[in-house]
Amino acid sequence: MISLNVNQKTYQVDVDPNMPLLWVIRDIIGLTGTKYGCGVAQCGACTVHLNGEAVRSCVTKVSRAGGQKIVTIEGLSENNDHPAQLAWQQIDVPQCGYCHSGQLMSAAVLLRENPNPTDEDIDEAMSGNICRCGTYLRIRKAIHIAAEIQKTKNNTGQIKNAVSRVEI
Amino acid sequence: MIQVSRRRFIKNAGGAGIALWLGINVRGTTIITTNIVESGNFTPYILVESGGGITIFNTKPEMGQGTFQSIPAIIAEEFEVSLEQVSIKNTNGEKPFGNRQRAGGSSSIRTNYTDLRKVGASAKEVFIKAASARWQVEAYDCYAENGKVIHKPTDRTFAYGELVADASKLELPKEPKLKDPKDFKILGKMAKRPDVPLKTNGSVQFGIDVQVPGMLYATVARSPVIGGTMKSFDASEAMKIPGVEKVVPVERIMGRYHSVGVAVIANSYWTALKARKTLKIEWDNKGYENFNTEEYEKHLHELSNEEGLIDKNIGSVDSLNLPLANTIEAFYETPMVAHHTLEPMNCVAQVRGDQVEIWTSTQVPSSITGNGENDVHKYIGFTPDNIKLHSTFIGGGLGRRLNVDYVIEAVGIAKNVSQPVKVVWSREDTTELGPYRPMTFSQLKGGFSEEGKLISFQHKVISPSFQEAMTPGFDIKKVDGTMVEGIGEQAYEIPNLKTSYVRADFHVPVAAWRSVTSSTLAFCHECFIDELAHKANKDPMNFRLELLSKPSDLKRVLLKTRDFSRWDDPLPKNRGRGMAQWEFFAGLCAQVVEVTVQPDHSIKVDKVFAVIDLGEVVNPDNVKNQVEGAVVMALGAAIKPGITIKDGKCMQHNFYDSPLIRIHEVPEVEVLILAEGGKVKGVGEPGLPAFAPALANAIFAVTGNRIRKMPFDLKKV
Amino acid sequence: MKQHSENNSGRFLFLKTIFVMTVVFSTIWMASAFRNRNDFSGNMKNRNKTAKDSIASVKAFMKVYKVLMSPRCMNCHPAGDAPLQGDDNHIHTMNVVRGSDGTGMYAAKCSNCHQPTNVPGLHTPPGNPKWQLPPANMKMVFQGRSPRQLALQIMNYNLNGHRNKTQLLEHSKDTLVKAAWNMGEGRTPPPMSYTAFVSVWNEWINKGGYAPK
Repeated sequence: MISLNVNQKTYQVDVDPNMPLLWVIRDIIGLTGTKYGCGVAQCGACTVHLNGEAVRSCVTKVSRAGGQKIVTIEGLSENNDHPAQLAWQQIDVPQCGYCHSGQLMSAAVLLRENPNPTDEDIDEAMSGNICRCGTYLRIRKAIHIAAEIQKTKNNTGQIKNAVSRVEI
Repeated sequence: MIQVSRRRFIKNAGGAGIALWLGINVRGTTIITTNIVESGNFTPYILVESGGGITIFNTKPEMGQGTFQSIPAIIAEEFEVSLEQVSIKNTNGEKPFGNRQRAGGSSSIRTNYTDLRKVGASAKEVFIKAASARWQVEAYDCYAENGKVIHKPTDRTFAYGELVADASKLELPKEPKLKDPKDFKILGKMAKRPDVPLKTNGSVQFGIDVQVPGMLYATVARSPVIGGTMKSFDASEAMKIPGVEKVVPVERIMGRYHSVGVAVIANSYWTALKARKTLKIEWDNKGYENFNTEEYEKHLHELSNEEGLIDKNIGSVDSLNLPLANTIEAFYETPMVAHHTLEPMNCVAQVRGDQVEIWTSTQVPSSITGNGENDVHKYIGFTPDNIKLHSTFIGGGLGRRLNVDYVIEAVGIAKNVSQPVKVVWSREDTTELGPYRPMTFSQLKGGFSEEGKLISFQHKVISPSFQEAMTPGFDIKKVDGTMVEGIGEQAYEIPNLKTSYVRADFHVPVAAWRSVTSSTLAFCHECFIDELAHKANKDPMNFRLELLSKPSDLKRVLLKTRDFSRWDDPLPKNRGRGMAQWEFFAGLCAQVVEVTVQPDHSIKVDKVFAVIDLGEVVNPDNVKNQVEGAVVMALGAAIKPGITIKDGKCMQHNFYDSPLIRIHEVPEVEVLILAEGGKVKGVGEPGLPAFAPALANAIFAVTGNRIRKMPFDLKKV
Repeated sequence: MKQHSENNSGRFLFLKTIFVMTVVFSTIWMASAFRNRNDFSGNMKNRNKTAKDSIASVKAFMKVYKVLMSPRCMNCHPAGDAPLQGDDNHIHTMNVVRGSDGTGMYAAKCSNCHQPTNVPGLHTPPGNPKWQLPPANMKMVFQGRSPRQLALQIMNYNLNGHRNKTQLLEHSKDTLVKAAWNMGEGRTPPPMSYTAFVSVWNEWINKGGYAPK
């Protein structure tokens, strides 16, 4: 039995400790927002937050995540209102949408660590996430918008940071 | 989504009063009925319930191209409802929704624009008529807005739902009056896509996300040598792994390609994958293990000496006998590429007796449930009536999901167990097994008159054939029109034009890839036009415009492109720009690409100006998104390695050796949408073909290096 | 599924190799305690039985150099700020960068993909708990260094992560250094065994840490 804390809920899972976290989240726990794209940490579709870091769940053994704090796209915010989510909605970033769970999880880490990212910062943070539809220009624009939303929201305290970092 | 059946309909009606379906029949006239089942050849698009609910049905699967918003938008505009007040539902291949539940060829809007407006307009008129009768007033004193009919003189209102019973007794107008576009509230305006919020919190369901109670998982080992098939297998090790249920042979069928693989069915996908690695399988490779694309491409070169099949022959290309100095000739090559939809192929199937239920991401719901000659029923042993489909949002179609091989295979696996089975292809499976966009090679010749006018143009395409691959019984003595797509129909006025096709035998599955053969032919054709301009010592834009004396869509587009891209503004010495255009079945787009030669001599793609000609535009913001994405996809196909085969096996496996464009490689893109009336053109594909030739032409402009082969490395050109 | 492994192994050697070596070295060096600051000649001498021998020392270093310049080491000691990948030392895909502490940036930190252990299979990220590049203020570049340059750099307290002789000797035992020999499937190992490496490393340093001419 491995105990997993996913989106602030605890799950006891009886699986092979070598099973990638991705398949545990999707097939065992049943949260399907996290996507399978490549299985070898190339595309970023499976990105979740492990103790606040944007790990690729397809290469992360579930045993590494045991007892740690996991946040998936479903837990990024309570009401689909993380600054990045709001920005994504504001300018209709997604096309097919398959990669955007991962894109948003990566963007959230960037925005937490760098509240005023430049285009270069965005490229450095986001190049591990592939979008086959090619929505990259909008992703870049939305992250700038999200940075602005984040400033406003932080000032008014309306949105709490859903990805608070946990020190290991 | 509801299953459209009489029973379900009555239940609906019982729950919420009666309901009214409005739609369109196969002859394109609008129809009204309260009984969907008995309506015959009728595609319903609107459901109005007496309880007030309004549903608009989208028959074009949503794969990122925006039909979930754009199809309902056209109806809603004329029906006078806002998209916020209606439910939008994707259809699932149900028979009443007709045999055109498919998305491909950028056809969803361009082939339905006026019909869908008529559906909405007819529906609105019938509700106005019903209201005016109830009030005993003149219909012309009433108007509709926000799902209500309003009597102007008295401000009385009826919601559509209140009028269902009355409206159901009325005839729909055959030729409804359409709105003046200047009164549009939705069409042509920037509109939010209702699927976007579902795509920012993980709640949207793709085929791969489907969960059915009791579901098992499966993975299939298929012959690594393309064309090979299973001879025998030993699953004894696999069966020892806890959680493995069954290991069974299963057939994959796609067009003329049939092969048998070995499926592992287990209680989790991970277990199935582990067990698959332990299988011992003997393959019958049928000699395909000696196949190499390197040799095959040499063969294509040799085939270019053949006359081939004539597509178009205008004037007298063969008897002009132009002096050698007045002619040029070039040979262009393009690679195979993979679709790389980010959602890998997958399908859930459950067999119960003579019934099968299918959940999947597909571009062709109608082909899965239909009774057509090549539809799925023919391959799975169930009658169309006994196939129930749940069509989900699609994590990328790009032409790959026009094929139903993965559905047929999943049903084949599900037949072995009573539980539902989810079959998931790994990324490697999805990459290594095809289908691919085929390579096309092009031999091009051009000739000038003594006065320097382009008077002769020949384009010969040498390639495998799509139609032969996908259509059983296709006559290979005929030109496969798909393989010469657009090359004989460019608007350039050239008095002597010959286009032809040399078919090459090929055992590797090939399929349409976003913008189909235009994605390669435009590169060859429009780069060669650039070569001709250079030979004539003319500016590439002026050279093209001089070939367009008569009014045409292309001429109009190029004139706009010249201004939009500031074509005539000088650039610094280390920068260059190139242009190209492509007009084909899906639409028309011209592009100008600007590049910089960096200090290390590599090329940076700075900026793309794209002018897309649509006739009518539904959602301009979505069009821009589509064109931006098309540029990225075209850039990848131009500069990243394609698919190669050695010893019969695909040499690419995943994104590490078949890379896609990432965010740091993307140029700035500016899009100009032309919606000036005329023929309605497509959106999804037309943004692709012009990009690669415009890029290659820009590189020539700044370096003098002519690129005649895709892909090309921006570090080495 | 893995049919390509037989024919194609070694063709695309990516993250694992490079990272392992880099991380090993950088981490070890950084982690060492700074007890003796200027001890290459004086303090250590008495404790060391091995006499100085410039010829033997240089000879040993040339073997060390081959290891350090192998992709398994050099890929994480790049000249630029992006790690390298593969036996061909190409720049790491995904536009990843060093970051100030060497562990990457934002959503592209080394440990987002590189796990504490290797991931099974070809082309998967190699793993180590310490995976990282040398930090920005102590880049410890191997790429492009001549034998002489590299030897002098390693023996330079201000360029080697502030390691004295003892710490340098200890460094060969660091888990990230060792990871170079646990490179994951499909990657070419360094040109000698780990034991042989430790032996020539010690010999080079103990015989005076001489740099080739």
